[in-house]
Amino acid sequence: MYTGQYIPGNSLIHRLDPRVKIGAAIALTILTLRGGAFTESFLSAFLIALIPCSGLSAYQMGRAFKPVLVFFALLFFVHLLFTQGKPIPPFPPWRVTVTYEGLYRGAFTTWQFALLICNASILTMTTLSTDLVNGIERLLRPLRRIGVPSYDIAMMVSIALRFVPTFLEEIDRIKTAHIARGATFGSGPLFRRILAAKSLLLPLLLRTMHRADDLVVAMEARAYQRGPRTYLKELSITWPDYAAMTVIAGIICLHMLWP
Amino acid sequence: MIKVKDLIFQYDKGGEQIVKGISTEIRDGMHVGIIGPTGCGKTTFVRHLNGLLTPTAGEVWVDGMHTADPVAVLKIRPRVGMVFQNPDNQIVGMTVEEDVAFGPGNLALPPIEIARRVQESLAMVGMEKQSKRSPHILSNGEKQLVAIAGVLAMKPRHIILDEPTTYLDPSARERVLHVVNRLHKEGITIVHVTHDMNEIARADRIIVLYEGRIAMEGTPSQVFGHVERLQDLGVGIPKIAEILWSLRETGLDVRTDIFSVEEACKEISSLITSQQKFH
Repeated sequence: MYTGQYIPGNSLIHRLDPRVKIGAAIALTILTLRGGAFTESFLSAFLIALIPCSGLSAYQMGRAFKPVLVFFALLFFVHLLFTQGKPIPPFPPWRVTVTYEGLYRGAFTTWQFALLICNASILTMTTLSTDLVNGIERLLRPLRRIGVPSYDIAMMVSIALRFVPTFLEEIDRIKTAHIARGATFGSGPLFRRILAAKSLLLPLLLRTMHRADDLVVAMEARAYQRGPRTYLKELSITWPDYAAMTVIAGIICLHMLWP
Repeated sequence: MIKVKDLIFQYDKGGEQIVKGISTEIRDGMHVGIIGPTGCGKTTFVRHLNGLLTPTAGEVWVDGMHTADPVAVLKIRPRVGMVFQNPDNQIVGMTVEEDVAFGPGNLALPPIEIARRVQESLAMVGMEKQSKRSPHILSNGEKQLVAIAGVLAMKPRHIILDEPTTYLDPSARERVLHVVNRLHKEGITIVHVTHDMNEIARADRIIVLYEGRIAMEGTPSQVFGHVERLQDLGVGIPKIAEILWSLRETGLDVRTDIFSVEEACKEISSLITSQQKFH
């Protein structure tokens, strides 16, 4: 289980065409980065409403934030401490100047990033990675005319994703082999731990090269060649997709009127 | 039919020849076992049968098509399916059904046809219930069945199995061999490379490779009849044949051209009854 992992379901958002979801996520990301306080408030309300529509619980969404909390704290304090402006009277034990502007920028940036995480999580939690890859391929397909190899990109991404669990298993196996011969991981000073990680990397790299060799042969044996191919699932836009596109268009208009 | 004529192969010019002149014919619907010690050129040889490798000298024809012809090879690949040794390194898809769809997708078939073939192929190997699963949670045996289904989805006439049971436990091995036998009964040519003599004891023909050449060729009883020769070549004989040979060496008059448990049972029990009558 990792952050933003697909959660099976049959919600309204689950059933949307991946192209629409990717497009919507990109649009919302741009709005989040451009928006002022009004847009951000509106987007917050919209995304919070979207969570139950996606069949996700607040807990599941909360877990997506866990790994980024440290980053949020950092983001907030950096803005808080390094923004010029009108100083807030210092609290007794602290010898640092904190400004009103810093407080505002810190809070606002953290807010923006929280929205981005929420937005991206809804996309990845409701869309199978295979659908995401298919969606990206379809979206890139018009760019084939200017030389973007959409089929090959999709193939590369899907193979990379397919081998993530295999690599995790592999790392585990190499680690076990090391431990069996007396190595220790996850203990000792940081420097030693980094050195230990290095000793995992080389065998992993070698095995990966070997695997890649095998995979190429197996793919060729199954008549793989670069360029156009077809897929099991053909994507199709239906009325909920049009509805979703209308909603996103509406939000964009709203942002144009009241940034 | 797969026809191989004076096949010679070396990776680099001036390098060592891996295959040093093999000629043979594999007729449609045959079950051919290929055995030989490690490094005898088995894998290199079978990779010529679907054009993965092209001969340095000599020719390979599949159903009348030349494997060195770059256009023909695209038609040969779907006809000659190949299942490899390592189950992990031949699965491409993120789900079982998508992996099976990889081959037909490469042939640019319409999605409806792909869906039909995926369903059929998974049913043939008994994996239809796992179609939505991610391959990495399957056992090695199941992965190998998925790999076979992936090959079947291209509707091949011939299937090459390159030591597919190496990483499998005994029960998974049985399951895979059972599927292979069924495919053979349905008329698909099987070329089975293996280290385990028991797996090919019932093949129509056995080819023994040694240092890039065919050392022996014939029916199992012809090949496994030469026990000493096989030992010289570094390959064994099936367990059943070994038992019958040992019995014969003790002076008993038993047949040694038997490779199935049932037949061996009959032979031994008839031997016992005749001995009892004798006393």
